[in-house]
Amino acid sequence: METIAIPAINFAPIMPEVILSIFAMVLLLVNVFVPSEHKAYLGYLSLVGLIVAGFTLIGGWGVPLSAFNDSVVRDNFSIFFKGIFLLTVGMSILISDQYFKREECNLGELYPLLLFATVGMMLMASGTDLMTIFLGLEVLSVSLYILAGFNRANVKSNEAGLKYFLLGAFSTGFLLYGMALTYGATGTTRVVKIAEYVSQNGVVAQNPMFVIGMLLMAVGFSFKIAAAPFHMWTPDVYEGAPTPMTAFMSAGPKAAGFAAFMRVAIIAFPSLKADWSDLLWILAVLTMTIGNLIALNQDNIKRMLAYSSIAHAGYALVGFTAGNAEGTAGILFYMLSYAFMNIGAFAIIVLVGKKGEANNNVMDYAGFGTKHPVLALAMAVFLFSLAGMPPTAGFIGKFYLFSGAIKAGYVWLAIIGVLNSAASVYYYLRVMVYMYMKDPVEEFDWMKLTPAVAICIIIAVVGVLLPGVVPAFLLNLAQQAVLL
Amino acid sequence: MVSLHSYLILSAILFSIGTIGVLIRRNAIVIFMCVEMMLNSVNLTFIALSKHLGNVDGQIFVFFVMTVAAAEAAVGLALMIAFYKNRESIDVEDVKLMKL
Amino acid sequence: MTSYPILTILIFLPLAGCLCLAPVWSRRAAVRPIALGFAVAELALAGWLLVTAPGMPTAPGAPAGYFLWEDAAWIERFGIRYLLGMDGISLLMGALTAFITVVAMAVSWRAVTERTALHYFLILLMESGIMGVFLALDLVLFYLFWEVMLIPMFFLIGIWGHGRRIYSAVKFFLYTLAGSLLMLLAIIGVYLIHGDATGTYTFALPLLAKAPIAHAAAPWLFGAFLLAFAIKFPLFPVHTWLPDAHTDAPTAGSVILAALLLKTGAYGLVRFGYPLFPEAARGFTPLLSVLAVVGILYASWIAYAQEDMKRMVAYSSVGHMGFVALGIASWSPVALSGSILQMVNHGVTTGALFALVGMLDERTDTRELAAYGGVWGKAPKLAFFFLLFAMASAGLPGLNNFTGEFLILAGVFRTTPAAAAIAFIGIVLPLIYTVRLVQEVLFQTERQPLQLPDVTLREGALLAVLALIGVSIGVHPKPLLDILKVPVALLTGTAP
Repeated sequence: METIAIPAINFAPIMPEVILSIFAMVLLLVNVFVPSEHKAYLGYLSLVGLIVAGFTLIGGWGVPLSAFNDSVVRDNFSIFFKGIFLLTVGMSILISDQYFKREECNLGELYPLLLFATVGMMLMASGTDLMTIFLGLEVLSVSLYILAGFNRANVKSNEAGLKYFLLGAFSTGFLLYGMALTYGATGTTRVVKIAEYVSQNGVVAQNPMFVIGMLLMAVGFSFKIAAAPFHMWTPDVYEGAPTPMTAFMSAGPKAAGFAAFMRVAIIAFPSLKADWSDLLWILAVLTMTIGNLIALNQDNIKRMLAYSSIAHAGYALVGFTAGNAEGTAGILFYMLSYAFMNIGAFAIIVLVGKKGEANNNVMDYAGFGTKHPVLALAMAVFLFSLAGMPPTAGFIGKFYLFSGAIKAGYVWLAIIGVLNSAASVYYYLRVMVYMYMKDPVEEFDWMKLTPAVAICIIIAVVGVLLPGVVPAFLLNLAQQAVLL
Repeated sequence: MVSLHSYLILSAILFSIGTIGVLIRRNAIVIFMCVEMMLNSVNLTFIALSKHLGNVDGQIFVFFVMTVAAAEAAVGLALMIAFYKNRESIDVEDVKLMKL
Repeated sequence: MTSYPILTILIFLPLAGCLCLAPVWSRRAAVRPIALGFAVAELALAGWLLVTAPGMPTAPGAPAGYFLWEDAAWIERFGIRYLLGMDGISLLMGALTAFITVVAMAVSWRAVTERTALHYFLILLMESGIMGVFLALDLVLFYLFWEVMLIPMFFLIGIWGHGRRIYSAVKFFLYTLAGSLLMLLAIIGVYLIHGDATGTYTFALPLLAKAPIAHAAAPWLFGAFLLAFAIKFPLFPVHTWLPDAHTDAPTAGSVILAALLLKTGAYGLVRFGYPLFPEAARGFTPLLSVLAVVGILYASWIAYAQEDMKRMVAYSSVGHMGFVALGIASWSPVALSGSILQMVNHGVTTGALFALVGMLDERTDTRELAAYGGVWGKAPKLAFFFLLFAMASAGLPGLNNFTGEFLILAGVFRTTPAAAAIAFIGIVLPLIYTVRLVQEVLFQTERQPLQLPDVTLREGALLAVLALIGVSIGVHPKPLLDILKVPVALLTGTAP
């Protein structure tokens, strides 16, 4: 009888994924036995899981390792992104408890789903095979569809879930078809092998199957990172989804999309960089401009931040277009700082909001600055960071991205980016105008600041200001994590 | 003997039908079925290519796609039920509380 | 001289004051003395430097002319350093900053009754930012402070302003931000081009200025710098934010805006614009001169037509800064020292005028020229100071503005006589609107019964100090010119 040789399996590269999966499954089981008023403990348990997973990450820095027949890899690039994911999920968990209690939702399934979503993101970041990337993406997406529609009683949340599901599955179709055609053209799904094939057969670029495959993959990824013109789902989903989940979606999955997109584009198609760059140039300009222009007249603050998150994806695409070490390290740095500033802002939105997703308009922030000076100051810090003002992480990030673009010769792209950034200041200022310069319309009975939310806000403020003042450490990490 | 090209063209046609269906149909379930058709056309592509290239990667991929499609169906239908409970409709024309 | 990081202290002392306000946030009585204490301490430090520094030798490791110097690694990956230096120009500007901050606090002592802590917090924060702008010699560090000083002003105008305060605050912010963001790109451009040419990637001004950019992009880069500085200046035609911002700002905001923020634009041009791009800057000289002259004439004309005192003073600011720009454009030692002296003068005079307008406004709740009249009889001390500073602003010999304008014109006559000739008209025009201002407010018969108590002790002392400085610069500007002599000679390349 023929025997099948089972290759030695090395779990080390996917240790964080394994740990998080175990935690998620345990949480699902435990959930059944925990009475609903104590569900918050599940949140603490999942935080423990995240911290344990984080510890297994640290040891791998600088020690690249691949396993499962080269379909996953542990390199600095993936570790950096995994760090971002852990942070994003952790901060989102911190603000979830208060929100979902107010909305009277059952929290039980939330934490396992978040952990599974993290596993998906991690697989996307470390996958070096189209199959792994696809699997990671789907584990993430399926969890996200549920998370977006998590508030079952709220029609907007239903809509968000449904819309996200339909458009997400649709875009997956494109991505998958692109993968299939690339597979057909190159005969492999390994990212590295594709690269070998491309460099050996220069003419492959003329192969229509290959070109179409590449384009379809680009479309698929553009959907995932919400780049214009594939951004239409973002505002509705972000507005409708429960606020902590919006915070999570705008930072984590977007970073994961960038991780996978970068891995495929930079490793698999390095010799076609010129073609990629032309495509990305257009995507970057459209994404920045459309995001910012529409954000200018949004009244709902979640929707405004949704458009702003589109614009921020555009800034990151500027670095992607540049394609050099500065640009790509800039994306890593920016995704991390964006997680801090955006989730920080959403934490404040959770506090200001009222039951039934009420009180989410910019006008509802009138008088916030006098009533809650410390929280308003925190919000102002986040908004200034989003606007890219020094001394915040947002400024250093943009500085990094734009200097990458200028260095690569994309001066016009940098100018367009900077003008966009100036325009974006308007809508961030608008929130500040309401916070500090208008009187409250009615007496408000806002918020109870729970310790969890306070911790999240403190982490975010530190994460925004510290790299803004002494960025050297993170810059070095980002530089070491570059794929090139 | 059916050639590789025929398979690819067939799957391309199926994929296009699926895409067009998603774009023009209004019923969420029909849209979802169109998405399923897209995924299955991709499966067809993978299998045809796998056979042609003589390597199993494509077939393995198909198993994953099928699994994932099943999971998506479970989640998607649940979301539609939740939506229907609130709105008594699954027409995406009704998905417009939030507008540009 | 000493090993104390004096420059760092100068920058961060006000910031420390901000932090000290936090524990007493809601107690107005405690907030004001603490804030003023920090501002006075800063002023004492700056004043001490002003007295002792001119005799100091060049600091170790510093280029010629810099007697205080601090250099530390900051973001090494990009070659960004924490590089501070003080020469005569920074010294004067720093001293002006410390002084005007105290003035701004004093004028708003009673006027600000709501959210007092935030008000003083913002003023101290702004002092830090402005001080940083005047001391930073690393381009990114400079940019950082440049942006930091924007934020408090935005809130000052928006929260305590009058009229269309929010519109003005946002306009001010967006205008200046758009310009400075383009400057940021130019900074990155300078960094990359210089690095490619010499092999050392750095943002440090002394290194960059040693090997000026000789690249085809230089005019574009200088243009971006110039745009950012011109908006702050403000030069015609990008001055339109200024009248709005000034009119709607609270008194303290107007004083700081006029006396300090406008100076940062001129300072940036002198410190960074010209030394970084000597060639390109020369190409821009005609444009700069024309804009300056047009600005002088246009502002004087518009100022005459104003009915609002504050707006009139604001437009006069545009005119005065036009002179400063003209002096910088000629880049001769005489004109340049005139320009820098004029920056100080304008800070003192216009600051005082805004303070006076603020005092009138506080008493009567109106700034309309037509509402006043007969102030001379009712509040003679206030009227006296008003007349004094209005005349100083108009360039009356013996008062401070005259010395600056005279030096500028004397210098410009040698390089571009035509510009000087036209600008000379600009010396006369302010007389016209100033006479109108003084006549309508002070000497016109009383048109409305106004409640006008005379100056209080606090206001009187404040105005007296300002007047003393104004007059002493007017009759004896030599000490200040001596401080400027070395740095100006080094900048213009006329050092022996």
